Amino acid sequence: MSTDVMIYASGLTKRYGSFRALDDVSFEVRRGEVVGFLGPNGAGKSTTMRILTCFIAPTSGTAKVQGQDVFDDTLAVRASLGYLPQRAPLYLEMTVYEYLRFAAQVRNIPDSTFKARARNVVEVCGLAQSLSKEIRHLSHGYRQRVGLAQALIHDPPILILDEPTSDLDPNEKSEFLNYLKQIGKDRTVLLSTHNLKEVESACARAIIVSRGRVVADGALDEIRAKSGRVRYIVGVQESASTSPYRGTGAMPRQSEVEAALSGLKGVKKVAELPTDDRAHAYALDGEEGSDLRADIFRMVADKGWVLLELHRDTQTLEDVFRQLTIGDERRNRQVGPVTSESRAADEEEDEEEEEEDDEGEDDEEDKETDAKRGKR
Amino acid sequence: MSSETIEKDSKKKLVAAEASSDEADERDERDDEEEDESGSKSPTNSFVDDSTKRKIVINRPSSAKMVWTLTKREVGGYLNSAITYIVIATSMVAIGWYFFFYKGGFWQVDRASMTRMFDALPLALCFLTIPLFTMRSLSDEKRVGTIELLITMPVKDSEVILGKFFGSLAMVSLQILLLAAYPLVMFSRAPFWHLGELDWSPFWVGMLGLFLLSAAGTALGVMWSSFTESQILSYFATMITLVALYAIGFSTVVEFLQGWPGDAIAFVSLHSRFEPFARGLIDSRAVIYFLSLTTLGLVVAFRSLESRKWS
Repeated sequence: MSTDVMIYASGLTKRYGSFRALDDVSFEVRRGEVVGFLGPNGAGKSTTMRILTCFIAPTSGTAKVQGQDVFDDTLAVRASLGYLPQRAPLYLEMTVYEYLRFAAQVRNIPDSTFKARARNVVEVCGLAQSLSKEIRHLSHGYRQRVGLAQALIHDPPILILDEPTSDLDPNEKSEFLNYLKQIGKDRTVLLSTHNLKEVESACARAIIVSRGRVVADGALDEIRAKSGRVRYIVGVQESASTSPYRGTGAMPRQSEVEAALSGLKGVKKVAELPTDDRAHAYALDGEEGSDLRADIFRMVADKGWVLLELHRDTQTLEDVFRQLTIGDERRNRQVGPVTSESRAADEEEDEEEEEEDDEGEDDEEDKETDAKRGKR
Repeated sequence: MSSETIEKDSKKKLVAAEASSDEADERDERDDEEEDESGSKSPTNSFVDDSTKRKIVINRPSSAKMVWTLTKREVGGYLNSAITYIVIATSMVAIGWYFFFYKGGFWQVDRASMTRMFDALPLALCFLTIPLFTMRSLSDEKRVGTIELLITMPVKDSEVILGKFFGSLAMVSLQILLLAAYPLVMFSRAPFWHLGELDWSPFWVGMLGLFLLSAAGTALGVMWSSFTESQILSYFATMITLVALYAIGFSTVVEFLQGWPGDAIAFVSLHSRFEPFARGLIDSRAVIYFLSLTTLGLVVAFRSLESRKWS
């Protein structure tokens, strides 16, 4: 393990009874990286962060922060971290200043240093107006700012932020993200969020977790490419429009266009998109690494149709995210208990670490069995 | 202002800090906890390479200072809430009324003695003051979630418990001290009364007894509040525990269960342990009893706080 690795997690598993909140989560975060930690609700983001901040212990696996084990050297780990828990739980009866001071005292920051730091932190977090207000009177957005200020007061080399922007308004968000970029240069930041725009603007790398597992980990471009598909949007003119140009052939019918597009080599799937009656529009799924645009144009031109639109669409992070984590959401919407076959098997084969994977495909079956079981 | 290095150094400092503190029970507690920590460390320690570890300096205050910081925060929190003042004021009125008027009260006894005060006070503490000042200590932090932020700072679990304990104890002690106002007002300007001078020593011994009883009660209260997120539950659990521990020692009960059951009950009851203090005697066995009860409560609370990791 090089000294560059600031956060190191290996095989983290956390169980609550038979429920696996985390299942063999491993990743590394290096110095100076700003990493987005993504996942749907209940995927295990907060659990991971709580383990890294020594709040809870993993059932198995190790985690190290700056080479210090979170279990054996918990004080060293906590001293080097700045942590903002979800929804920023603060002592409501204290004023902002008192709270920051308390945090500084616990972190052994002498008064003189504290004053300088506090000034800096207050400026960064925009708290100057609310320093003497009691935290209970602050809005959630401001509480989150205080939480952030508290995490920065000791100038930690590593920041772990659990949904730091959830209660901020759009202006505050962009300000915060700018700031994050700035401090991220010489610090390590692990930041959880469901907001993919934020990740795209602040992070170079993302880790996506779903149902307690890491489903993607890498630079954003890599993750985008991960789905292995390219999408094409094709629009063909259907009836005469204001334009005098009508093409050379007859106006195509919908089935004709669809058949022609499906017939192209390399097209995996054709789906019609909603349009008005002047055009047919389709979304095609092509293979990664190939470019079908030329073929599509050739085909349309040969038929004498009018091509209105042709557009190659690499997947957005959002698509990938949805694709990787869709199983979660589907499970949530199933009728009956979540414990379908996979869960039952889970309980029996607990020690064998044999997990049914690929829930995406299994889900159809799950649905059926669940429906049969009805309400148990 | 000192930074500790992680290894033995910190232990030394801890010991130093302990020696300086006047609470014997605190020392027990810390020692226990130190042993536990080193105990749990040894099996997994082998694969952590020590070379990198030594370099890291943990920037945190000494344990005594940390506990002090937490206690201050705790007391500040109590003093910030209106309920504190209501509780103190009502208990002052209620106890004053009981002392002077109930069953003829102070005037009928007609002696320069405060022993009557110590009849009622422990029960009042058990019923009201102690449970009220301990019910929110950990429960509220758990409910609101502030415990997460607190514990992820470089604070030891034992320091959190001690901070909570001393914070609550400070409030209970404040209440007890305010009660000293009664005799001070009545007797400080002797010979104001026909009763003459008050013998102060038994009074202060009684106060010491109250303090020890409060320490034990507060520790049990902190323990209960570490079990639950609900303040109400914590209040009632503490109240019932303390009142039960107190009431089983009433002479009627002890006499009813003659022989060893009675002795056994008298042995664990707060009431029978407090009695010598009320009469002005410092009973070393009772002191040890109260301190052990305190330690027990704190150790259990510590374990309960620690158990969040495994649940």
